Amino acid sequence: MNAVFPAPAPDTAERLLSPEELEAALRDIGARRYHNLHPFHRLLHDGKLSKDQVRAWALNRYYYQAMIPVKDAAVLARMTDASLRRVWRQRIVDHDGDAPGDGGIERWLKLAEGVGFDRDYVLSTRGILSATKFSVEAYVHFVAEKSLLEAIASSLTEMFSPTIISERVAGMLKNYDFITKETLAYFDKRLTQAPRDADFALDYVKQHATTPELQRQAMAALTFKCNVLWTQLDALYFAYVAPGMIPPDAWQPGVGLVAETAAAPKPGIGALAAGDRPRLPRGVRLRHDETRAKHVLLAPERTFDLDDNAVAVLKLVDGSRTVADIADELGKTYAADPRAIEADILVMLRGLAEKRVLER
Amino acid sequence: MNAQVPIPQVPIRAEAPAPVGLLAELTHRCPLRCPYCSNPLELDRRSGELDTATWQRVLTEAAGLGVLHVHLSGGEPTARNDIVEITKTCADLGLYSNLITSGVGGALAKLQPLYDAGLDHVQLSVQGVDARNAEKIGGLKNAQPQKMEFAAKVVELGLPLTLNAVIHRGNIHEVEGFIELAVRLGAKRLEVAHTQYYGWAYVNRAALMPDKAQVDASIRIVEAARERLKGQLVIDLVVPDYYAKYPKACAGGWGRKLMNVTPQGKVLPCHAAETIPGLEFWYVTDHSLAEIWRDAPAFTAYRGTDWMQEPCRSCDRRERDWGGCRCQALALAGDAAATDPACSLSPLHAKVRALAVEEAAETPPDYVYRTIGSNIRSPLKEDA
Repeated sequence: MNAVFPAPAPDTAERLLSPEELEAALRDIGARRYHNLHPFHRLLHDGKLSKDQVRAWALNRYYYQAMIPVKDAAVLARMTDASLRRVWRQRIVDHDGDAPGDGGIERWLKLAEGVGFDRDYVLSTRGILSATKFSVEAYVHFVAEKSLLEAIASSLTEMFSPTIISERVAGMLKNYDFITKETLAYFDKRLTQAPRDADFALDYVKQHATTPELQRQAMAALTFKCNVLWTQLDALYFAYVAPGMIPPDAWQPGVGLVAETAAAPKPGIGALAAGDRPRLPRGVRLRHDETRAKHVLLAPERTFDLDDNAVAVLKLVDGSRTVADIADELGKTYAADPRAIEADILVMLRGLAEKRVLER
Repeated sequence: MNAQVPIPQVPIRAEAPAPVGLLAELTHRCPLRCPYCSNPLELDRRSGELDTATWQRVLTEAAGLGVLHVHLSGGEPTARNDIVEITKTCADLGLYSNLITSGVGGALAKLQPLYDAGLDHVQLSVQGVDARNAEKIGGLKNAQPQKMEFAAKVVELGLPLTLNAVIHRGNIHEVEGFIELAVRLGAKRLEVAHTQYYGWAYVNRAALMPDKAQVDASIRIVEAARERLKGQLVIDLVVPDYYAKYPKACAGGWGRKLMNVTPQGKVLPCHAAETIPGLEFWYVTDHSLAEIWRDAPAFTAYRGTDWMQEPCRSCDRRERDWGGCRCQALALAGDAAATDPACSLSPLHAKVRALAVEEAAETPPDYVYRTIGSNIRSPLKEDA
């Protein structure tokens, strides 16, 4: 079904597309082949995966993250124009950071640690599926061997990533009690970095794909990249979902993890889950401010301004209702789906817990 | 919680937005003698302090004006015999009460009654981590064990605890230690506050000023710890002005958010405002708090932006940092209406930075300890 270099539709192969038509054609590739459509991602975002299946995803995806700067360095090495390199090198900085403890790879390691992995195990890349490695390495080779236009065009999957990231963050926070907003910090940055990178790459492709042949190459490059992402999920699905054939040398559940007790959140703080009963501790008070005609949350050395939604939630935070109870009550009051608002409530309450003004 | 007693509400005027915080300097008496104390060089004596009923009236007026937080401070606020009564009044009025204490002397004995009276939060000062160093800075022997015992009791009662560490060259090497101490004691917050050079700190500036490398290192330590201790300890960082790019919005802008009542009832826009010559301050014994907030010459002098000179006047940041600190402008530029020289846009900024670098490079002189009835003259007034 997915040939690596599929023949483009006859219409787009024969004539030169306008830059707008080219962009539409590229976006169409994403709409049909981007990995948000993969069954594994649907399971991930809908909360249908077990903790070990989420772990397998986090571990394998680390390999992709870790190789991205290698890939970008290969692209950079082919650029003879300093102004291009100045823009492109930012991608390497984003991933590697300016110092230890910084950057996208580090944030991905945090994610892996957040789901229970021992950092050194992840860094060793020992348990990563060979299929994952093959896909990722094919991508590195592709950008080194193909034209610069194709190398840049292959990065355009970033045009589609903000959608998948929003779906993923909301879905995972809502559906997995072992996932916290901090664990998913990687995606916070990508929400702004990816569109910036994609805008530049898209402009470049629109400007430099000046013949039907070059346009065809750009589209094929993007298709190739979609397949790089897709095949990684195929491999995960095959090994860890169905039929569940884990290759002999790949990660097995239970391996490479830190002891559960050490990874568990500290009592009273950390990731609040739907079943927890949040409360405002001594020294934190919800109060109506008569002078300014609004509710405020008074806390040590600070005052939180609250929007109406936050007030409605905090009025129900009493140490006896669970987060799910609160979502149910508000769902009734506002005729909304309680499960849909539960994720928002969790994000808000976890934010307060992180500032140490909410406990459970 | 709604207030349990009726509070007459005062309408807000656009030019004087309602204040959110009141710093109640209940007394200047204090067992510690920290050389960076923000109290004025001429400290009020016990005989001149406001009585209980007057403080209670002031607090009622503050609640009516829109104040939400009351910082019970000093000096050492627990040196007042009526501290529990005053705290109870705050609770009755729905005001959030914050006890800013040294934790020494009679503080421990008053903790349980304060808790029962409805105290909301405790901010405990710590001068150092190593006891000998801490006690040298605070000028009081045996202070450190008292502080540790006090902190443990706060946490045991279930009150939120903030540790406040004023940072200077005598303890900047202990920043990591302050963080560990805060975690060990079960504090929810830690303030790593680099010294602000007013009051006694200005007198002792050469003994206190750290060098830029030390400051940068302390900032890196705090940032790493914030990440590591997310959800466990909140760390607030106040960086030293002299090394900053833009000044702080002093007190959130002159006469915009905070007011400060001295032990004798003088109302100030900030605790150092008295260093500015020619300002007319009003007393709570002569005027209502609302009148003072709206109309006292000291409050209207630098409220808003009309008083500003260039480069503040046309600066985009003028309603963010409000020109920085007036007291510092006076001290360093000789004109309280000038741009705070801590701002990189001030023509004097380079000079101020150079001064800090120069002082930090020299061997620190001995501390001039804070004391009531000292003969120390403000160098500010001599300069002016």
